[in-house]
Amino acid sequence: MSTTSLRSGAQRLVAGLETAGVTLAASVPDTWIGKLMATVRASRTIRAVDAAREEEAVAIACGAGLAGGRGAVLIQNAGLFNCGGVLAGLVDLYRIPCFFIVSYRGDGRDPVYYHEPKGKVTEPTLAAWRLPYAIADRTGDLAAQVGRGVDAAQRSRGPFVLLISGEDLE
Amino acid sequence: MTARKPLLEALVAMLAPDDVLVSCLGANSRYLPHLSVRVPVFALCDSMGAAIPLALGMALQRPDRHVVALEGDGSLLMCPNVLATVAAARPSNLTALLWVNGHYESSGGQALPSAPVDWTSLAKGLGITKVERVGDVPALRAAFPRARGAREPALLVVDVAFDPNEPIPPYSERPDEIRARFRIL
Repeated sequence: MSTTSLRSGAQRLVAGLETAGVTLAASVPDTWIGKLMATVRASRTIRAVDAAREEEAVAIACGAGLAGGRGAVLIQNAGLFNCGGVLAGLVDLYRIPCFFIVSYRGDGRDPVYYHEPKGKVTEPTLAAWRLPYAIADRTGDLAAQVGRGVDAAQRSRGPFVLLISGEDLE
Repeated sequence: MTARKPLLEALVAMLAPDDVLVSCLGANSRYLPHLSVRVPVFALCDSMGAAIPLALGMALQRPDRHVVALEGDGSLLMCPNVLATVAAARPSNLTALLWVNGHYESSGGQALPSAPVDWTSLAKGLGITKVERVGDVPALRAAFPRARGAREPALLVVDVAFDPNEPIPPYSERPDEIRARFRIL
């Protein structure tokens, strides 16, 4: 996917995954992540894997990494909350690079009221779990932000989370 | 009912040079360093339920290798949904063995919830069509090649004896050692 002809944020995010060498994206969708995964499915270099639950997605991505590829996990913040055990007992314990794109539901940009409780605890949870993260800036180079996140995960041999909002996909 | 060790020894002896082995936490991971395993092994010592999805990621990344996952019934009972994920991804190079002893062996031998789980039916209901149940070494020796050659994800449900006095060796490898040694060439 050429970065020069891209229009949507979703395309730029996926171009970032491709450029960073991501070979597999494991996902449990929400409305936003589902739109992003639709773009992933158009990729010629990234294998899209639909998982039934988020912990699986983390382990699938780690397996791809251990087998010589690069895995990414695309989930909602509620799904990330499910992943404390596998983050500690697999990603951290075995020091496996694992890059996440997480939909930041319930922050000030989310129009859906019932996500608000998740928004309140997202960044405190990331901090408590010592997960390095960044909030995507759609006014900047989204592909480069993905690239920096993947690189950070590779260098630290651990997780890195890029939080996105629905408007980042437009 | 057959003890775990002879079943595990029989399995290891059947692995081909191009296979990769992923083990769940507990007795399997603790026994494996003491067996003659000639394939790459990724042995978990934590993270219940991660063995099958970890193996799935490896299998999808490396379709030229056959990945064998060992999982326990306590772990899979936490997340049987992973079988639907495997069925959807449909790798032709993934075989899982589910060790069924009805107990959380590595945490003190507590019994699983006492429901009579029909693993074969559950797996088929979640989309795994190649499922066999085995209960001894000869049956495992017969079933594993069929599973491995199925060209679709396969599950062997292995009934294994639970012995609270079984002298299972302790973990003898640290995660950083396992991670550093694991290479799929």
